[in-house]
Amino acid sequence: MGNRINILISSVGGQGGLSLSRMIAVASGISGYSVATGETLGMAQRFGSVKSFVRIGLGEKVYSPVFSLREADYLLCLELIECTRNLGYLRENGRTIASLEVKPPISMSLEASKSKPNYSQYIETLKSFASNEVIFIDPDEVRRAAGTIKAVNAAILGAFVSISNLFEDKVILESMREVLGSEKAIESSRKAYELGKSLAKKEQSLA
Amino acid sequence: MELNPLKMSKGIRLALMGNEAIARGALEAGVALAVGYPGTPSSEVIETLQRYGSEIYAEWAVNEKVALEIGIGASIGGARSLVTMKGPGLNIASDPLLSAAYSGVDGGLLILVADDPGPITTQTEQDSRWYGPLAKLPIISPSNSQEAKDFTVKGIELSERLQLPIILRTTTRVNHSIGEVILGDRKIPKRYQKFEKNPERFVRAGMSWNLERHKWLDSRLKEAEKISEDLFLNSLEGDGRKCIVTEGIGYQYVKESFSMEDRDIRIIKLGLVFPPPLNFLARSLERCNEVLVVEELDPFLELTIRSYAKELNLLNVKIKGKIDGFLPLEGELSPEIVRSFIFGKKEEDVMKTELHVPSRPPPLCPGCPHRNSYLAILTGISKAGFKRKDVPIFGDIGCYALSVYPPLSAIWTEHSMGASISMAMGMKLSGFDKPVIATIGDSTFFHTGIPPLIEAVNKRVDMLVVILDNSVIAMTGHQATPSWSETETGRKTKEIKIEDVVRGIGVDELRIIDPYNLDEMASAVAELLKKKGVNVLIARAPCAIYEQRRKGRPGYYTVKEDLCTGCLACIRATGCPALYVTENGKVRIIEDDCYGCGLCAKYCPTDAIVRGD
Repeated sequence: MGNRINILISSVGGQGGLSLSRMIAVASGISGYSVATGETLGMAQRFGSVKSFVRIGLGEKVYSPVFSLREADYLLCLELIECTRNLGYLRENGRTIASLEVKPPISMSLEASKSKPNYSQYIETLKSFASNEVIFIDPDEVRRAAGTIKAVNAAILGAFVSISNLFEDKVILESMREVLGSEKAIESSRKAYELGKSLAKKEQSLA
Repeated sequence: MELNPLKMSKGIRLALMGNEAIARGALEAGVALAVGYPGTPSSEVIETLQRYGSEIYAEWAVNEKVALEIGIGASIGGARSLVTMKGPGLNIASDPLLSAAYSGVDGGLLILVADDPGPITTQTEQDSRWYGPLAKLPIISPSNSQEAKDFTVKGIELSERLQLPIILRTTTRVNHSIGEVILGDRKIPKRYQKFEKNPERFVRAGMSWNLERHKWLDSRLKEAEKISEDLFLNSLEGDGRKCIVTEGIGYQYVKESFSMEDRDIRIIKLGLVFPPPLNFLARSLERCNEVLVVEELDPFLELTIRSYAKELNLLNVKIKGKIDGFLPLEGELSPEIVRSFIFGKKEEDVMKTELHVPSRPPPLCPGCPHRNSYLAILTGISKAGFKRKDVPIFGDIGCYALSVYPPLSAIWTEHSMGASISMAMGMKLSGFDKPVIATIGDSTFFHTGIPPLIEAVNKRVDMLVVILDNSVIAMTGHQATPSWSETETGRKTKEIKIEDVVRGIGVDELRIIDPYNLDEMASAVAELLKKKGVNVLIARAPCAIYEQRRKGRPGYYTVKEDLCTGCLACIRATGCPALYVTENGKVRIIEDDCYGCGLCAKYCPTDAIVRGD
């Protein structure tokens, strides 16, 4: 991991992946880092595959808003199937943070009459693929702590900040204010953020 | 407190999306009028300007041609204007574009056209730079958010100095990327100045005038390079003998490779991509022993450089790019492709997982009224005694094109804006003896669907036209249509009713129906399919996401697990993404995603799906 940090955020449209990328971008700006993000979203308003690239330069400039396979230092996943789809982006020794949420695409449900789906295989794949311990976020836990599952992105952000040490909490709060707008969303995100941080700390102390 | 990049003052450094930066640039350029038609990846420019309020005119037009003509009208009166669209939009606006080159402008006119290598959300990988030589108009191309803002300002200045409209051409990675931008000063919007009668200039009916204006245009175009130098649109870095000519996002990929490898390379970056800045190129390409051209989509710059090889003293120099297959002609570039091109490295093998990852084609949203409409159409076809495979459903551009995917697999074509009705018509006129159905969204109908309907009625072609009216331009992010009584900026408008338009055209029968009443709509489809003439069914129900955002959802449904037999009838009928199959083979509804339309419950043979309130 050099002075440039590559983050891939993988989500299903509507989950808040773009807000997460924006929060990291704004926080990077406030922190004086160089930043570029690029997003690849399908035609759907929601429920399509969404890939957001975030690149942060510490003391040096980042140019390209996207990066290639095997170049992600961090893979942040809001959904397990999308996470598996994008595992190829992860570099050796890269870190993965994944919400345990599964949103199977219709194509998969339409096939389900032939064989029953097995979702735990995605978790196993993630674990076996990543060279480092994967930090899993339980969306139900986020719902309990923050009141809404929409704040999962903030929980992932908390875990990310905890293991990357890139941002101060007050910077994150400022970026939440800028990106999220509504007081209600900021409040639930703040709670989820704290949860994510503590989950990551627990994971790290176990490791 | 949401951040508004339009209201912040000079010197502030922000992380902005390319399109937000263009919006800010419009204010720094003193643009008084911004108008466009939504199209990914261009839509956020007008949307961002609308957040500024009604101080300048920032509104959607009915289509790109009208938008450009509005911009031209403003600019020949001395006002500064910005017109925005995606690549295919410029095809629709190309007629006024070419004439505007002859008449020229007084106030700056900048036309943003956003192309989409990949393609990520567009019907073709059109390279709109060809409009430069076609219309004989300058094209400028920014490579990141900072330049997106700066080139907007410079583009307006270039336009006024040349008296020509300028095309600001971007690609998705510039429009939709976030990068740092240092803000400049806003200018007072330049509104109407004066418009004097001058038929030689503004009337294209005089052929000798047209010839003279063509000469005038060519003379103006010759000045473009000189002014571009004043505006620092092009740049040169390094003095190696391996030379790279690039523009747009390609430049960022080159820079990324360059800094990673730290080699001695010369980078020639063009901000003015048409007309080619030949003096600058000749200077910059001196003593190169190899020229690599890095650009998205077509080999536009490469062909330019090859065709001027003699003038640029490159006759004995190898020019590499897309023509000889070093870079791909299709799809988008990536930092890796560019790096391999420059340094000749092979791509590393990528670790792959054994696990099959199912594809995720974009679905219609939960509760989407279009799902009901297409189910009703498909049911109606059967009800009328036809086989589904015998009755083609012509589709059009909008969310409802997603009905092409299983399980609906409804539309047979999706072509270009408004083409559903006219293509259905052609099929009938050529001898097709079964019924045809054209399906078109409300905004697409306003955009370019009205002339085809006139054509179909006038020529007495039998067809059923279903207008899927969700009262908003949904796919591009919920923009206003002419049926609104107030725009996003609070400007009061006169609402245009689709039924008035349709009636005015004189269709044989018109019915308006709520697609959530599935059986009723299916019966109407069956009846109208068997009738002669042009019959129109307006399926009217608001976009579920838009409605939910404004009013909340009507409720949600849940599955009683003990009653669910896992027959999957609900999923096979609806394809609703709020439904999925659990590991025990039963259906679950993601309650957070459910809209509460109840369509799935209708298909459940065991009444296992119930309201969850």
